[in-house]
Amino acid sequence: MKLRAKAIISICMCIIVLLFGIGIGSIYVPPLDILNIILNKIFSTPLPSHIPSTSVSILWNLRFPRALLAFLVGGALAVSGTVMQSVLKNPLASSYTLGVSSGASVGAGIVIITGFNIPLLGMFTLPLVGLTCGLLTVFLAVSFTSRVDKNMENNTIILVGMVFSLFINAVLTLMTAMSKEHLEQIALWQMGSFALKEWANVFVLLPIVLLGLLLLMRYSKELDIMTFGEEQARSIGVDIQKIKWLLLGLSAALTGSAISFVGVIGFIDLIAPHVVRKIFGSSHKIVIPMSMLFGGAFMIIADLVARTIVSPSELPVGSITALIGAPFFVYVYFSRRKAV
Amino acid sequence: MLTLNNVSAGYGGVDVLTNISLSVKEGENLCILGPNGCGKTTLVKAIAGLIPSKGTIQIDGKNISKMKRHEIASKIAVMSQISSVYFSYTVFETVLLGRYLHMKGNALKEPSFNDKLYTAECLKAVGMYELRDRQITTLSGGQLQRVYLARTLAQEPSIILLDEPTNHLDLKNQAELIDYLKEWSKIDGHTVIGVLHDINLAMRLADNVLVLDNGRTAALGKADEVITSNLLNKVYDMDVVGFMTDSLKRWESFQSQPYSQVTKLRKIK
Repeated sequence: MKLRAKAIISICMCIIVLLFGIGIGSIYVPPLDILNIILNKIFSTPLPSHIPSTSVSILWNLRFPRALLAFLVGGALAVSGTVMQSVLKNPLASSYTLGVSSGASVGAGIVIITGFNIPLLGMFTLPLVGLTCGLLTVFLAVSFTSRVDKNMENNTIILVGMVFSLFINAVLTLMTAMSKEHLEQIALWQMGSFALKEWANVFVLLPIVLLGLLLLMRYSKELDIMTFGEEQARSIGVDIQKIKWLLLGLSAALTGSAISFVGVIGFIDLIAPHVVRKIFGSSHKIVIPMSMLFGGAFMIIADLVARTIVSPSELPVGSITALIGAPFFVYVYFSRRKAV
Repeated sequence: MLTLNNVSAGYGGVDVLTNISLSVKEGENLCILGPNGCGKTTLVKAIAGLIPSKGTIQIDGKNISKMKRHEIASKIAVMSQISSVYFSYTVFETVLLGRYLHMKGNALKEPSFNDKLYTAECLKAVGMYELRDRQITTLSGGQLQRVYLARTLAQEPSIILLDEPTNHLDLKNQAELIDYLKEWSKIDGHTVIGVLHDINLAMRLADNVLVLDNGRTAALGKADEVITSNLLNKVYDMDVVGFMTDSLKRWESFQSQPYSQVTKLRKIK
């Protein structure tokens, strides 16, 4: 099957997943009704009389922003994972390898424990502090790597990232141990959730994700070359040091922005790029946008499972992605070992 | 075209190469010989500017330490020893990546007709055009080696640096590759600098030979003037000529056996 056909099928599947993600829940809303509600809200078209106002309210104010946010977060994580894996030439790498999640968790922990609030930002204080701390951790890890290894070898980056990650995690453990009354809140944040998310979250994250996606797609050719290793990339003419900094920074920012809104959610950044490469090959021109779609769709499905499987209660979405992702991680690792 | 003056290079502050000086003119081929660990690969990396070095390395009178990455890559292409492939591309996509510096416009634009044509020509030159749609993860070591050579050619460099390019190739492909490179070097004053373990192949390709011993120049000059039994025996710490003569004698005795006996021997094996 040609790439174009596969891409069109994927887009259609993604729309179907989005419609199910919005429609399924305590009240089931059929796809046609969802479309009518969307048209009514955007273009003020008349609403069919059989659709109750409660459905409209639940759908528009709760499920729609939640599903869109899940799509954006999943897409951002998957794109970031794709880039990290190519830059570090390691199919098991992700932004988390460089300590984004640990840094963001410490940031979130500080806000939760101290009740720190930036006056104009209000509810966005936590995401902003989380993002800043996440990026700061990556910046420190990469700066340290460039000091100890001028060539910024991938193995050094991964090793330093893991050490920083463990160190920052220890700081978080200390913080929570010293503030037991916030233990549950911090632990829940670290498990990730899309509950009670509003349109405001979507409007803030949307431009960040779109900008990140477009910027990373600009470097598709360099990413393709970098998957063959640094030496080969340099001998083909890629200015590795500069581009590596840029790509690591951009993908860390993408992950940091995504998780700072919803908490730490793992494994989507590993699963989606792997599935996409299996279907579409490795060319980043197609892998990056398709990772966005697949990551987004996987996240909607994971969130759907998280909020419906023990309804009316809700499971942390991070636990669902980890339940599926951990065995998948093992599968990728051992299938790769067999191939080698 | 390429001049090295007292070049030393190594890893982690330890020099593997010491004070190498040489000069390669346009259209000349140089083979680097020497035992394992003598610094052959390090020299290739230093010439390509892939590792820092002391001394001066000049291409067309320009010091490579002052050149940007894309400037070096427009003059020198490196075909390294093949390493693991983690992400699969088609053969054509892989070779097209060699056109990186020639491809204009944004990353999402389709490659130009010229770039595609040049890529196809490079694939034909190494005999891989028929396999252009195959995934590189499904190729044998020898096929992958040829794909990487095609990518190196697609870069349109004036100097090609090869690090043990015949490693995964059978006899026929080794001879074809060396002959192709020799032919390529005759066009527009191209130059091939290759690290080769096989002295016969080196003699087939090289105009000049550099023999390294413990990171230092043991000999440099015309291949047939420099290679002596004493030098080889000293550098490789074995009776190289005796070993080769012995192999040749065995081969000659094998050739003199009647065909039926040879077939029988093969069956027994």
